[in-house]
Amino acid sequence: MLSLYVFFFLSAVTLVSAVMVLLSKKPIHSVLYLTLTFFTLAGHYIMLNAQFLAVVHIIVYAGAIMVLFLFTVMLLNLNIEGEFQKSTVMKFVAAIAGGMIFLVLIGTLKSFDVTTVGDPSMTQIGLVKNLGKTLYSQYLMPFELSSILFLSAMVGAVMLGKKDKN
Amino acid sequence: MYAIITISIVAIIVLFLGAIQKKTPLLPIIFVGLPVAFIINLLGWNQSIHYYNEMYIADNFSIAFNAVLIFTTLLVFIFAPVYYKPVKRPLEDIYALILFALIGALTMTGFGNILMLFVGIETMSLSLYILAGSKKFDPNSNEAAMKYFLTGSFASGFLLFGIALIYGACGSMNLETIKEFVVAHHNNIPAMLNIGLLLVAIGMTFKIGAAPFHFWAPDVYEGSPTLITTFMATVGKVAAIAAFFRLMSSSFSDMESSWVVTLTIFAIATILIGNLSAFYQDNVKRMFAYSGIAHAGYMLIAIIALKQQAAGVLLLYSISYTIATITAFAVLILVREETGTFSINAFKGLAKHNPTEAFAMTIAMLSLAGIPPLVGFAAKYNLFIAAIEQGHLPLVIVAIVGSMISVYYYIRPVVAMYFNLPSATSAIDSSSNYKKQIFLAAFLMIVLGLIPGVIINLI
Amino acid sequence: MSSLSLFLTVFLTGIVLVVAGLGIAILLAPKSFNLQKGEPYECGIITHGTSWMQFKAGYYLYAILYLMFDVETIFLFPWATIVRDLGYQGLYSILFFIVILGLGLAYAWKKNVLKWD
Repeated sequence: MLSLYVFFFLSAVTLVSAVMVLLSKKPIHSVLYLTLTFFTLAGHYIMLNAQFLAVVHIIVYAGAIMVLFLFTVMLLNLNIEGEFQKSTVMKFVAAIAGGMIFLVLIGTLKSFDVTTVGDPSMTQIGLVKNLGKTLYSQYLMPFELSSILFLSAMVGAVMLGKKDKN
Repeated sequence: MYAIITISIVAIIVLFLGAIQKKTPLLPIIFVGLPVAFIINLLGWNQSIHYYNEMYIADNFSIAFNAVLIFTTLLVFIFAPVYYKPVKRPLEDIYALILFALIGALTMTGFGNILMLFVGIETMSLSLYILAGSKKFDPNSNEAAMKYFLTGSFASGFLLFGIALIYGACGSMNLETIKEFVVAHHNNIPAMLNIGLLLVAIGMTFKIGAAPFHFWAPDVYEGSPTLITTFMATVGKVAAIAAFFRLMSSSFSDMESSWVVTLTIFAIATILIGNLSAFYQDNVKRMFAYSGIAHAGYMLIAIIALKQQAAGVLLLYSISYTIATITAFAVLILVREETGTFSINAFKGLAKHNPTEAFAMTIAMLSLAGIPPLVGFAAKYNLFIAAIEQGHLPLVIVAIVGSMISVYYYIRPVVAMYFNLPSATSAIDSSSNYKKQIFLAAFLMIVLGLIPGVIINLI
Repeated sequence: MSSLSLFLTVFLTGIVLVVAGLGIAILLAPKSFNLQKGEPYECGIITHGTSWMQFKAGYYLYAILYLMFDVETIFLFPWATIVRDLGYQGLYSILFFIVILGLGLAYAWKKNVLKWD
């Protein structure tokens, strides 16, 4: 029962702060609301018994990626109010398009069968040890391949961010 | 699999040789490394090896497509010295990123688990985002990179959401297991699987640049450096369509009723939008972007008709599209070097001073338009036959109408080259070493057009 | 369920303690106000302009390199918990991963990205 209340509380905060990301006039405020969204999502992960994912979410997203977002806002000197208003037609069209996707998702969500996980070990998959075992045996290849992904990201950052001599 | 490792090693060696300011050995290493990877890749023919818990499957499908991708990348690299002639620095980052993108592409053709598909797509896309913006001081290039990145990451979000829903429905991301699930639940496919598949299809159609998710393509193709556009239009598109085909044929072929109509509408829209928009372009580079969209539509037909062993036809189509596009872009690069513009007027009277280039361009254009006896015709013919046998007559009629429209805009540069001789622009410097490649490509287009069955029956 | 209620108890206690500490301080502390207290440097040159200003792009490179290694450390953690079960196979796989990422750092170093100028 208690977990149900926690779930509703977290969901409400997540949704409100996610909407506030879009509605805030100042980019910095958007970024801070995004941080709040990440924290509440981490709460959801804990509720799902995925502790490792929750911690990663806080360290990487709320920590490192937020720093990057803030840097970007500062780099571009974006802390100006009301510069990014779209025309009413654009807003209208975007609302219709987004609303249709939303409707489709809601419509299918209604017909989802709520199933319980048959395999009891699956509920423990979010624990660090189990996750490590899966990651380093079954999913070893995507893991190693992601190092290539990181390397290309680094090369790209160096290429685009480096000050050229000329 | 070992081809991927080889290319990774080559990429890292290139990266570090460039970092220590060694310029000369970079391209020779690539020209040795890629053929080696090509041969290593072919060594696994007919063996169907499954690597690492079915993460990567080296069957004939993936080997054939990997061969096409590696060969195409090699052709792109051959034009690199011509394109980057004015640049004095070693350019190791651009070369390495192209190779990283190739690694992603190779992963996409042979994935056995949807997670690998995602990692492959991300590796390829991330490298392409960066490459699109590699002309750092050109605002068009910056805009292309930014647009590509924003829309691309949005599409990745859809793809990931879809993967999550498919996993939720089937309890696995392994292609085989998903197929078993689909066969077992043939009569009551859960809605979660349907919507997951739809979202994955949205993500994949974005990556192949098919309508209605094609809006990024013209701007990105136009703004990116031309060499990168060539790479994107060939390797990026072929890898994505091969991955899409693999996903559909190995997992979802038994629930056709839930996606065939959607994909048919996508294909019809793509063919019409691509061809009709290309009709109005005066900028040849932009015209190729729209023609690429139209060809993505034709390739979608192969997925719609996948029950007819369409893999071989898709392979033939990919080869024909790739070779013709590369040849056309190569000539475009040369013309642009000389005239400084991508406008169709730049081609005026090209045949006067540069008959070789004009001939190659003509062959490429006619092949793209699907004129017999070139390979483009053979590919389209077999594709349409496969679709008709599967009962998709309206789709084929639209595709044929689209092909007829396309003849007009493909002929325009040819007309400009041969019938405007008095207003000829000055001769293009043809001293550089690319003529052999142009001949090779033209040769392949003619020969493969005569013996298409060899390719089709390959896989 | 008991672990959740324990968590909630700790969580609420934490909130109560912080709020109580700050609240009592606000209530008890003497209040005084003058303009000088608002200055960033109480004794120094008076600042002018806004504190919102454009950053140097160089920070961004550091941040993104930091992010890469942040993620790498995250991957090291589950590996470390099961390193004994994995044996040499696990050692090789993590070494491969670290070496590739290390190569990225070496590349950035070689390209003088880490040098501040």
